[in-house]
Amino acid sequence: MVVAALAQSDAEDLELMWRIRAFEEKASELFARGKISGLLHLAIGQEATAVGVCGALNPLDTVFSGHRPHAHAIAKGAEIGKLFAELAGRGTGYCGGKGGSMHLAVPEVGFVTATGVVAGNIPLALGAALSSSIRGKQEVSVAFFGDGAVQTGLFHECLNLASLWKLPVVLICENNGFAEFSPLSAHTVVRRLADHADTYGIPSETIDGNDLALVRAAAVTAVDRARGGGGPSFLECLTHRFRGHYEGDPTLKRGSHARDEEKDPISRFVRSLQGHAGSTEPEEIEARIRVEVDEAADEALTAPWPDRENLATNVVASW
Amino acid sequence: MLPDLGAEVLVALLERMLVARRFEEQLIDLAQERDIGHFHVYVGQETTGIPALALLEGGDLSFTNHRNHGHLIARGAEPGPMYAEILGRVTGYCRGKGGTLHLASAKHGFPTTSSATGGCIPPAVGAALGFQRLGSDRVSVCLMGDGALEEGAWHESANIAAMEQLPVVFLCENNSLEALGQRAGEYPSSTMAASDLTDLASVFGIESVAIDGLDTRSVHQTMTKAVQRARAGDGPTFIEARTVRWPGNRPIWPELATGKTNLSMAWDNSIIPEEHKKWHQEQDGVLRFVRELMSGGQISKEVVLELDRETSARVREGLVFALDSPYPSPEEALEHVFAPHQG
Amino acid sequence: MVTETVRYIDAISSVLRHELDRDPDVLILGEDVSYGGPFGATAGLSESFGPRRVIDTPISEGAVMGLAVGAALSGCRPVVEVMFADFVTLAMDQLVNHAAKFRYMTDGKLSVPMTIRVQGGVGGGYGAQHSQSLESWFLHVPGLKVVAPSSVADAGGLLAAAIRDDDPVIYLEHRGLYWSKGSFVPGGSPTRIGAAAVVRPGSDVTVVAVSRMVNIALTASEKLATEGIDVELVDLRSVAPIDWETIEDSVRRTRRLVVVHEAAVTGGLGAELVAGLSARAFEVFATSAVRVGAPFAPVPASPFLEQFYAPSVDDVVVAVHKTLDDR
Repeated sequence: MVVAALAQSDAEDLELMWRIRAFEEKASELFARGKISGLLHLAIGQEATAVGVCGALNPLDTVFSGHRPHAHAIAKGAEIGKLFAELAGRGTGYCGGKGGSMHLAVPEVGFVTATGVVAGNIPLALGAALSSSIRGKQEVSVAFFGDGAVQTGLFHECLNLASLWKLPVVLICENNGFAEFSPLSAHTVVRRLADHADTYGIPSETIDGNDLALVRAAAVTAVDRARGGGGPSFLECLTHRFRGHYEGDPTLKRGSHARDEEKDPISRFVRSLQGHAGSTEPEEIEARIRVEVDEAADEALTAPWPDRENLATNVVASW
Repeated sequence: MLPDLGAEVLVALLERMLVARRFEEQLIDLAQERDIGHFHVYVGQETTGIPALALLEGGDLSFTNHRNHGHLIARGAEPGPMYAEILGRVTGYCRGKGGTLHLASAKHGFPTTSSATGGCIPPAVGAALGFQRLGSDRVSVCLMGDGALEEGAWHESANIAAMEQLPVVFLCENNSLEALGQRAGEYPSSTMAASDLTDLASVFGIESVAIDGLDTRSVHQTMTKAVQRARAGDGPTFIEARTVRWPGNRPIWPELATGKTNLSMAWDNSIIPEEHKKWHQEQDGVLRFVRELMSGGQISKEVVLELDRETSARVREGLVFALDSPYPSPEEALEHVFAPHQG
Repeated sequence: MVTETVRYIDAISSVLRHELDRDPDVLILGEDVSYGGPFGATAGLSESFGPRRVIDTPISEGAVMGLAVGAALSGCRPVVEVMFADFVTLAMDQLVNHAAKFRYMTDGKLSVPMTIRVQGGVGGGYGAQHSQSLESWFLHVPGLKVVAPSSVADAGGLLAAAIRDDDPVIYLEHRGLYWSKGSFVPGGSPTRIGAAAVVRPGSDVTVVAVSRMVNIALTASEKLATEGIDVELVDLRSVAPIDWETIEDSVRRTRRLVVVHEAAVTGGLGAELVAGLSARAFEVFATSAVRVGAPFAPVPASPFLEQFYAPSVDDVVVAVHKTLDDR
């Protein structure tokens, strides 16, 4: 029996998801070895949301993320070598080592910035959307945040503004059921987070965030709506993170984040690829990507540290 | 309509409303002849605050905002020390250090007043948390406006109040109906995308209701229920009380746009002028309350006028008291920054 | 270009209009800006430039500041108005953790060209939550520039500079100065940020003042002149960066220093100036520097108490005398 090759878009999506997965797992390993320090928040298990949404965007569309940004940056087109270097604090990293995991910025591919303050990226996305709309551009902005961000006052203010001004922004809530160490139920009685969007008249959907096709379809609708002048959308993507809040956090011992084959978005995607049962292409993609990631990591670790003179540079444009 | 209360209680409510109304009118007059700084008046909202706050007991706390004069009067604060506070005299409730924007009186149940929009919300929820944890059946009331719902502090506080089922009543006085600058037919406002203000509370599962703030029966019933629920440990309530913004409440400085309230308009239509006719006939809550009391036989016009004379005289005395009061000594400016040194 | 005599607030309005006209990327955001705001600074701008560029916001300081940051990251030049300095507190995260830090954290890839107009200061009996001067907070955050014009000309010049600057600039307006009159050139060139100005040359003592205190210090200087004391008065103008060169040059000549600001002395701008100058020119000081500022207390509402809160002409005179104690 001849097994058909994967459609190019499927192969690309799978590649991207594996790139994220492999990157995160490698980052975890590097962290354990002391090569990456600070706070490292991994998105293992949340790949379908990142790839699903970013795959609906144009290169000029902008993405703003939070403290768990690697997947979004990779899905938007960031190079993993420079990401590793940044996480490892090297001078060749995307921010010269000065940003680190939570403040990645790759504006050249439209991943404008991440931020370490929960919900802090949401108004930034609104601002970019405002800019696009005022200047007559067709660019859409996306803010990725978690369920924890929904409890912040800033989130509420942003929903109001986005709706009031019909901003071309797509708000993606990756609801993985946890805000830092606590389950969502300890933070709010609201069960369906998209209800908040309904309050402000913002079209919303709550979907299975681990189903790439579903995420992609919902994202396309939302992005088209924004680009067409229809204003904001809110997508609540129900998902699951396989690790703790950050690497080394005490909740890992609670065993609540064991890898779940049923929930694993990559496994589900592979299973969903019709007519490819028996294909070895998925494994080949994984293997190839893992080599790519290993090599990128190794190279990043040989990169030089930033110049000491750069410690206090780029504070302001000029004095 | 009137609440189901005896004549005596109803007349007592009218007395408070008249104190509040005359207090504000006299304040506006005063501001014409001397600079007293900026201030905000409660004219047009008396039918909400006074019946609502009359339901509270001594131990209950209320947290209010920059439009607080009516609230304090509702809970028994006296014109004298209130004027004194506004004028910065040492006999004021805060010895001149709070002014109109932070008018508070702990003995009347107002521990602190914030003039930052939404600033009263977290402390009100916090007091409720304290009551709950200490096992008391006291209630906390958050006196806020519709603008406060735009602040993130609302969202965060409401979420917590709902989570913890706290004994707090959010009394939101929406006075933005027909507000200056509001686009025609616009509700709730040009700065809020929610289609109903109550949605901003009900999304958290908070018991929410919108009422006509000019309908004292509604105010009384709704507030009674809310306070009961809170005391019984059944959690928070959100009440949106809608009133029409008084024409004299221009954006910056209040003016007596509709003149000093002439209570005779409650029974004599012929003296109602064309200008602001709708205000006098329908939208002025105090006139409406008087009309309802009269048609219910609870009061006669003689008693109304006598009550007005008495309260007006008391309010005038209060102002005299304040104007005669000394200023604080300069050294007082440095007192109470911190708690006194302990040991 | 014609020089006019206008009020401080008119200079602000004029520059906002000029910049909106000159640069399509400039946006104005704030509460009630289309009505002119509480003091009229933005009056008429909405009629001229429309709601696309003069944007009324709800009372959501946090989101609005953050939105301005996002717009700045995307090519706009937002000018955010914070109605009272005290409410910057609601926007501190976006200002301090985001606006001030993006350039650094991305090693120069991101730029946040925004201006934050903040009205503040004592006056009118507005009380503790509407009267603060918080410049020392902002001076302490690397990545923020801070200016505080005292004259009408600088109100215009520094605002133009702030708007054209590629960094976040906090522009501190004092409402006590809004109605003061002075010369102004509409459409004139920006005033360089980071330059102090010697307002009154002198030889006996250097007085460095900022914002509304400049005029207070000037009156004090005139009073002192009748006693034969010749003050050199420096209008700081730029709180961050500080023009150390001008101040140091002055102190090297006079050997005595007084710093005057309206904010509390404790942890205030004066502390930075005195410490900084000590580090640069300790040996030239004939006597200890003296800081003049408010007492360490919130602003009382009572107008009677309030009048004692901010430094007065006499406070400055006394401070100058102190520095001359060794004579």
